[in-house]
Amino acid sequence: MPLPIPPGPAASESPGPAASGGPLDRCAAERVTGALRGPNGCFYLRDGAVYCVEGTPAPGIEARLGAAGRLTGDRWRRALETAGPDHCGGRFLVAEGWLTQSELEICHLGALLDAAFFALPLASETSSFTPGSRHWLGTVRGISAAALQRATDRRRALLDRLRPWAAVDASPLVPLPPARSDHSPTTCRQRRLLDRADGRHTPYELAHALGQSAFVTLLDARRLAAAGLIQVPTAPTALPRRRPGACNPVTEGPSPTWQLPVPDILETADPDIALLVRLRTALEENL
Amino acid sequence: MPGIDQVLAQAMGIPGVLGAGLIDWTSGLTLGTAGRAPHADHEATAADTAEVVQAVVRSATFDTKGADGPDLEDLIITAAGTYHLIRFVHTAFDSQTYLHLWLDRGQANLAIARLRLRDLAAELVAA
Repeated sequence: MPLPIPPGPAASESPGPAASGGPLDRCAAERVTGALRGPNGCFYLRDGAVYCVEGTPAPGIEARLGAAGRLTGDRWRRALETAGPDHCGGRFLVAEGWLTQSELEICHLGALLDAAFFALPLASETSSFTPGSRHWLGTVRGISAAALQRATDRRRALLDRLRPWAAVDASPLVPLPPARSDHSPTTCRQRRLLDRADGRHTPYELAHALGQSAFVTLLDARRLAAAGLIQVPTAPTALPRRRPGACNPVTEGPSPTWQLPVPDILETADPDIALLVRLRTALEENL
Repeated sequence: MPGIDQVLAQAMGIPGVLGAGLIDWTSGLTLGTAGRAPHADHEATAADTAEVVQAVVRSATFDTKGADGPDLEDLIITAAGTYHLIRFVHTAFDSQTYLHLWLDRGQANLAIARLRLRDLAAELVAA
């Protein structure tokens, strides 16, 4: 899904506290329990701490565990069905021995952080809070809203350093053959991304296919573009707009005169010319 | 079956340890902390160590194994009076975390601390 990544705070600004007063801060201050829905994602809170974020372009726990072969879709669905009204799907995954507690915590927090990157910032006008709404996975581990916002700001600053290559974020990744023999060496993760780049899938789609962080995928895509290994799409050039009052400069000399159809030319065997002549005649009749 | 807090509590049992944390290197977010931190600020410690880790992770110089699979293991920073020991956590699924230990140089044995932290990182993901 193409999503413009909003730029972070300008580099000249001191890394002060995250913008306060947003709906997430208010929820944290009031220690609420429920779901806070914004245009780009939904935050689940318990006593003001964020314990789940979903509904963003970032791959969730299921995609991460599934792509790694760590948890099958069947087992995930079993957990979803078993969770029921107790909202204890996470505990079920561990109790069945399908995941260790710390694996669940690490995967869950990784997915939460990644989703928060795309869901923040929230604006009061476009957010709505549903008190008491809970996520079926349960409270695996909570993160303070302020810490989550600061972490997201630091991620945004990291991505902002590669802003000139932001055009690759939402376009299919097109790998380029290394032009020079001294091309930049790549990391293992970047090679994996390059291997999957087929000119048809965007970084977001590749992040899902690989079951990896969408943020890190964007970071690598921009770095590969900076190294000349990924094609930077050129912005589609808009059609030239007609400015009011713009016209051909007035030419000196006699004003143009209309030529009447020459009878000989009207009789032609060439269908293209015949069509043009008929068109011209029709236009002249409407003058 | 240990969670993050239990593993960090075990890390606090390593001789000479002052503090420990599990941190996401892309953001400096602490997933868990135990004990003390420099300047009594776990979050600043996490953000600063995360920047060190980022500098290493993005460089192909330290990624020469060729095949897939990460080969980064530890980073060690020695400072006056203390050590900082960073151990990458390699999960089966995608994650960007490391364990950080802050050690008292007078009390700690760096070789032992490194081996113990390696085992704890493995315990985090042991099935």
